[in-house]
Amino acid sequence: MSVAVGNILEVRNLQTQFNTLDGVVRAVDGVSFDLARGETLGIVGESGCGKSVTALSILRLIPPETGRIAAGSIKFEGEELTTLGEEAMKRLRGHRISMIFQEPMTSLNPVLTVGTQIAENVVRHMAVPWRAARERAFEMLDLVRIADARRRLDEYPHQLSGGMRQRVMIAMALSCDPQVLIADEPTTALDVTIQAQILQLMLELKEKTGTAIVLITHDLGVVAETTERVVVMYAGRKVEEAPVEALFDEPLHPYTRGLMRAIPRLDVEADAAGTRPRLQEIPGLVPRLTQPIPGCAFAPRCGFATGRCAVDPPPLIDAGAGHTVACWEVERVRASAP
Amino acid sequence: MTAYIVRRLFATLPVMAVVALFVFFLLRFAPGDPAAIIAGEDATAEAIAAVRAKLGLDRPMVEQFFVWILQLAQGDMGVSIFSNLAVTRLISQRVEPTVALTLSTLFVAVALAIPIGVVAAWKARKLVDRLVMGFAVLGFAMPGFVLAYILIYFFAVQWQLLPVQGYRPIGEGLWPFVECLILPSVALGVTYMALIARITRASMLEVLAQDYIRTANAKGLATDRVLLLHALKNAAVPIITVIGIGIALLISGVVITETVFNIPGLGRLTVDAVLKRDYPVVQGLILVFAAAKVLVNLIIDISYAFLDPRIRY
Ligand SMILES: Nc1ncnc2c1ncn2[C@@H]1O[C@H](COP(=O)(O)OP(=O)(O)OP(=O)(O)O)[C@@H](O)[C@H]1O
Ligand code: SF4
Ligand SMILES: [Mg+2]
Repeated sequence: MSVAVGNILEVRNLQTQFNTLDGVVRAVDGVSFDLARGETLGIVGESGCGKSVTALSILRLIPPETGRIAAGSIKFEGEELTTLGEEAMKRLRGHRISMIFQEPMTSLNPVLTVGTQIAENVVRHMAVPWRAARERAFEMLDLVRIADARRRLDEYPHQLSGGMRQRVMIAMALSCDPQVLIADEPTTALDVTIQAQILQLMLELKEKTGTAIVLITHDLGVVAETTERVVVMYAGRKVEEAPVEALFDEPLHPYTRGLMRAIPRLDVEADAAGTRPRLQEIPGLVPRLTQPIPGCAFAPRCGFATGRCAVDPPPLIDAGAGHTVACWEVERVRASAP
Repeated sequence: MTAYIVRRLFATLPVMAVVALFVFFLLRFAPGDPAAIIAGEDATAEAIAAVRAKLGLDRPMVEQFFVWILQLAQGDMGVSIFSNLAVTRLISQRVEPTVALTLSTLFVAVALAIPIGVVAAWKARKLVDRLVMGFAVLGFAMPGFVLAYILIYFFAVQWQLLPVQGYRPIGEGLWPFVECLILPSVALGVTYMALIARITRASMLEVLAQDYIRTANAKGLATDRVLLLHALKNAAVPIITVIGIGIALLISGVVITETVFNIPGLGRLTVDAVLKRDYPVVQGLILVFAAAKVLVNLIIDISYAFLDPRIRY
């Protein structure tokens, strides 16, 4: 298979599993997607569908005591990452591919200054002296619009607000000009106004640096505002993929339709807590991932399900114009009102 | 920070005052009449009364206390009943061996325990971890004096590499000084080593599961930087606490160790003074030990503030 021109990241049939007391958890069960240079790709799905595990698999940060990439391929600039040596992998992390995590309150080291935590990444990958790296850290803090950046360098994370910490994480992640930035729910823990600011900032920086972004979220509102293409995941599998307009114009998977119905209406968007509610309004429960799922994972909750759905896994069908969907009953779904 | 340290130093004064009060009354109410002991076995009642008057023991208790405290404030701990030497002088002569032994034991324990604990946590549940921690349990279970005799048998008697016992002041040269300290430090230190290694492993394991360690790994940092800076600095507070407890135990433990290894330090002075009911010396020693523990406690507290910026001072 040749490397498609323009794809910086190609994930094929990724399977990541964990050994637990209840058996083997198939957290990611055969996911494939591409990321083009400079593109913003969204990955959406309910809590526990394997979004974070997909992201951690790309960076090979799955805890080795319990988890492993059981099968599949991850190619970065044509280079296979699943078999790459640990040292080479370390040179990629934080340099060519970096990551922002879900929890800004706990993702920074509480006993090291912000300046140190940004500068150490630069020292590690750019082979520059500490003084120059600190200068770079200052520039980055300035770039992510942290006021009084010079002074902030010597502050500790507990002296910063959640929004500021996430800015620091962004500054850190972008400090070595990575080709790929994986942002795992970067705004979930923040309140709505700050969410919008952080997303805006990420998009602006992307324009400047040309970094491709994988934006992981359970919030279709965020997807609509920020991404170009969307992968919808359910129970460790990809169920639909489409350019963002196509997905919102005509969602083809019953699960995606359920998610859309669950989007909070704009006029009630900011609830008392100031956060968007999580998407759990689809009736029924996510299947347990410790048992192999024979047919379509969504079958127990799906209004379109037929006998076949519980037995045979639906293949991904090309619905045209880059729109793919894994559903046996796609024609019936298409014909019904969304 | 300086203001914090000064404030903490002042805060130790009430503690020391309570200790002083305790020491004073404890010995006043202890059985046995010091005046009778000093005057000798077959002294007359008049002779004993004379001694009592000379020592001021016939004065009201409150007056005695204030006289004692005032002298103490001037660094005067009184005079030994037996040798007639100033208590401060007796104690300061014996301080060096005890401090040397405590510090060298601590050094042996910490220098081994921290790398062991870090490696064990890093390789948790792997072979290295099991081996290293197995040794730690063994070290913890083995009484120090048993190990002392084993070490003495091999290193001193069989192979004649190190002296059997004794102490040489540092003034007589570095090697003779170090040579005498090796066996006692190892024998004493193994227990503390095991204790500190275990807490290091436990504390490191907890820290290694934190989100910020994943962040550090996501930056591709070298393993040693992740372990020794990102993790160990966060794991340090419980480790330092246990080291502090270790020092306190060591200070109390010198009495036995100095006896086993025949080291002329404060422990031996304590034994002698207690057996002879040399009250001024016992009082002085209790105060010195208490002050040492308060000081250790203070240093530990201050080091927390250095290690963790979230601790307010
Ligand atoms: N270290 C682990 N050990 C065992 N199971 C794990 C581990 N990490 C994740 N899992 C399981 O893998 C599945 C996917 O988890 P993942 O964190 O990827 O979900 P997610 O889509 O990111 O959800 P969220 O929106 O809550 O972040 C879950 O069922 C989870 O329980
Ligand atoms: S394959 Fe069947 S169960 Fe699965 S989404 Fe389509 S209709 Fe529903
Ligand atoms: Mg997640």
